[in-house]
Amino acid sequence: MTQVLAGEGVVAQGVARRFGDVEAVRGIDLTARPGEVTALVGPNGAGKTTLLLVLATLLVPDAGEVRIAGYDPLTDPDSVRARMGWAPDVFGLYDNLTCREYLSFCGEAMKLGRTAARRRAGDLLEIARLAEYADRPVHTLSRGQKQRLGLTRALVHEPQVLLLDEPASGLDPRSRVELRELLRSLAVQGTTILVSSHLLGDLEEFADRVVFVDSGVTVGEHRIDQLPDSVAPRPWRLRALDMAALVAALAKRGVDHEPPTPAGVDVLLTGDEAAASLLAALVRAKVPVVACQPLGGQLEATYLELTQ
Amino acid sequence: MSPEGISTVARQEFTIRIRAGRWRWLLAIWFVLLSLFTLLMRTSISRVGQDDATDKGVVVYGGLALLVLALALLVSPALSAQSVNGDRERGTLATLQVTRLTAGDIAFGKLAAAWGTSLVFVALSLPLIGYAMTLGGVPLVRVLVSTLVLVLLLGSVIAMALCLSTLLSRTTTSGLLAYLVVFVLCVGTLMAFGLGTALTTEKTTITTEEFCPSDPRPGVPQPDGTFSPVQPPEGCQPAQTFDTTRSRTDKVWWLLAPNPFVVLADAAPRLPDETEQERLRREQLQRQGIATSSLRDSDPLGAIGNQVRGLRLKPGETTEVGQASTSETPRLVERRAVWPYGLAFDVLLGIGAMWLTTQRLRTPTRTLPKGQRVA
Repeated sequence: MTQVLAGEGVVAQGVARRFGDVEAVRGIDLTARPGEVTALVGPNGAGKTTLLLVLATLLVPDAGEVRIAGYDPLTDPDSVRARMGWAPDVFGLYDNLTCREYLSFCGEAMKLGRTAARRRAGDLLEIARLAEYADRPVHTLSRGQKQRLGLTRALVHEPQVLLLDEPASGLDPRSRVELRELLRSLAVQGTTILVSSHLLGDLEEFADRVVFVDSGVTVGEHRIDQLPDSVAPRPWRLRALDMAALVAALAKRGVDHEPPTPAGVDVLLTGDEAAASLLAALVRAKVPVVACQPLGGQLEATYLELTQ
Repeated sequence: MSPEGISTVARQEFTIRIRAGRWRWLLAIWFVLLSLFTLLMRTSISRVGQDDATDKGVVVYGGLALLVLALALLVSPALSAQSVNGDRERGTLATLQVTRLTAGDIAFGKLAAAWGTSLVFVALSLPLIGYAMTLGGVPLVRVLVSTLVLVLLLGSVIAMALCLSTLLSRTTTSGLLAYLVVFVLCVGTLMAFGLGTALTTEKTTITTEEFCPSDPRPGVPQPDGTFSPVQPPEGCQPAQTFDTTRSRTDKVWWLLAPNPFVVLADAAPRLPDETEQERLRREQLQRQGIATSSLRDSDPLGAIGNQVRGLRLKPGETTEVGQASTSETPRLVERRAVWPYGLAFDVLLGIGAMWLTTQRLRTPTRTLPKGQRVA
């Protein structure tokens, strides 16, 4: 066990868990540090949700060691639960309660005490922009609002460690921006945040580190600003004032490209250097280029490379 | 497990229950049904000409107690049989398990909410029981004991249904099985007892003594002052031996013990003997032309109780063919109570169910039932 992290954050080493014949998780190593947002990225069925269930004190792993805020979920789940918030990908709400009652109940279940739980519920409803729905039954909320309510439930006891499984699914663009800001501000306050998501564009903007998992094992663990240089070709999008001239110039240089669309022309390039030299050549050829940008971002490129 | 934790879960479950169903209607139907039954009981007493009895309440209360038990046994399984797997289906169980509530808090909180709901039904029957008491003859202690036993029986059934909801992933299956449990307790015990009685029936040989209508025979006086033997008079039965069978219910009575109706009826304290004062008063009234009768022999609870206690008598203790009835028999019956065994059995089943429920709610979990997601 990493000594430095013994008292904080999330540490998982060699976690394995099978369900019958299915090896859901075969050996995941992961660390998530306080004050950072760590992204857990991988294809469907890679074992992300199973890993989060182990971290969230719900599942016993077949093998491996786990520490959450320094406590072992196996031997001391209550200490973990007092410090950890978990928002699953699929969850239910008690339809007949109002939002306020629901959050108050969650606070009481976290042993905040009745008065403190009610006060905390009010604060959380403000944070989730649900104050105007506070006294309405939960079943009148939209899907995105329910998702936000479920997220705030995980925050009810101001946890040191936050485990989020696909928190942005079903959220509208504004809510996604707000979720990013909320998670960043929690990270600044020292919270350890582990978030699994398929929205790589979002993650690239607010995650500090990223852990790639595939087929139940960790295949990469990187700082988001130190992603390995991609060796595989990736798509770049070019746009010019004169699209015909751009297409002609590309054809002249023998660069393969997709048929032009109003959004631009997509070409496959290997590495940033190739992009820079192509751009320079186009400018020299007097093509009025106005945009040259990679599609999908570095994270997506790395993801596609690391996972099958 | 803590009182605060249990009460947090119970209050929450109770709130959801009250808001979810059409409870007002269900409770109203319940009350109307019981009222109608009470009224019909009262009317039928008049019809059979027992209006003058001073203990009409004994019959009305007995019938009412058995009906309340029957209906409550129909309602109770539904209160908890889909509690845990229903939460699992809706995705609200896992988020509850990662809170600081323990498995025991969740299990007993759910039990408390369901049990509490069943007590609302019991409470609604109290006005009618009060009415039955005004009809006379029902000792308060009988009402108190019967109600306590009823509550314990309902709690046990609710605990068993709750346990089924943790063992099975589908709510329809657990609901069905919960009713099967009630069926086994109510009807299965009867069937088992019937079969058990038949299977334990044994062959026996009975020897009857010579019996003459006018024995001892006087004989005929002789001149020397002795009596000479005479031929037995006409109609004398000579001593005889014949093979027959006899049932040994004393070996299988316990099969009937867990039956909720047996437990409730047998646990009801026996009616006190008519005091000398009461008897004199009744006779005095009769002399004045005011006929009074007693319904104590029609006490439904006492009748069931005596019946099942009688099953425990061994061959030598009960009246058999060719034997004189002993005056000891009723007193022996009195001492062979069945309900302590039945109630203990049912309550222990309930306690076992709660233990298993708590085990099944413990997290982190090692095993998952087939086709089940934790979340």
